[in-house]
Amino acid sequence: MSDDVELVQRIRAGAADDYAELVRRHQTRVFSILYRYERDLQRVEDLAQETFIKAWRALAQFDGRAPFEHWISRIAVRTALDHLRREKKHRKNDVAIEDLGEDALDWLHSDADKSALDAQGAAEILQLALRQLPPLDRAVIIQQELEGRSFKEIAATLETSVIAVRVRAVRARARLKRALENIGAGK
Amino acid sequence: MNNLKLKQLFAAARRETPPVPATDFAAAVLRAARRETPEEMPAPAGILEQLNGWFPRLALASLMLIVLCVAADNLLTAASPADSGDMAAQFSSQYFAGPETEDL
Repeated sequence: MSDDVELVQRIRAGAADDYAELVRRHQTRVFSILYRYERDLQRVEDLAQETFIKAWRALAQFDGRAPFEHWISRIAVRTALDHLRREKKHRKNDVAIEDLGEDALDWLHSDADKSALDAQGAAEILQLALRQLPPLDRAVIIQQELEGRSFKEIAATLETSVIAVRVRAVRARARLKRALENIGAGK
Repeated sequence: MNNLKLKQLFAAARRETPPVPATDFAAAVLRAARRETPEEMPAPAGILEQLNGWFPRLALASLMLIVLCVAADNLLTAASPADSGDMAAQFSSQYFAGPETEDL
């Protein structure tokens, strides 16, 4: 099996059908990134398609210095950010505390060491709290805390400086805490 | 919300399983990509595009070179004003005044 750089070269040379193979290799990663920003599965699929179409259009700019996975991940994050900004304009917070499962609500009102939380419940709570943050704050929190990226990597994805990301991370964390406290208080 | 609880929340959320793409997702992307117009098809970057990409760095390097030359010229002039004056006089007499003198 050829590596991604060879595959990209073949596609650029005219073997357009090979793009399906490239998509198959990276679709799970792209879905995983986008699902952190959007919970609706149909929208996640639309955003994933948008990501791969953007990559197709920009394939000439892929120089192979960084792995294709990093390149497509950046496009996915930017697509998710564009989506959050559009959503902010057209949609109000349509997820309410009533949408949280019983386990998630129990955990919110309990002490940390006395209650366990499943992945689904945690993701629901986080999503609800993150919706109250500006899109860039959300992107920084998701990349730093859920995807384990460094400040340098986040800065490259968001096309900003490391200092700016550090400052935003501190501010975003404080905002997230406040949002979670509000949810816990039933606001 | 204390830090321990926030850590717990992130750790649990990290374990969530992402949705699995539909089996025909890659084919659907390919169909959509094929609908793109030929102008939007991926193509190697042209020489002008590459130069355009290099432009800020080339401009900065040229500017630095010019500043370096001007600074070096000023330094040399300040260090030996008489010598450079003599050299200029010698140069002008050799190449401008020289042949006329011979003709006379």
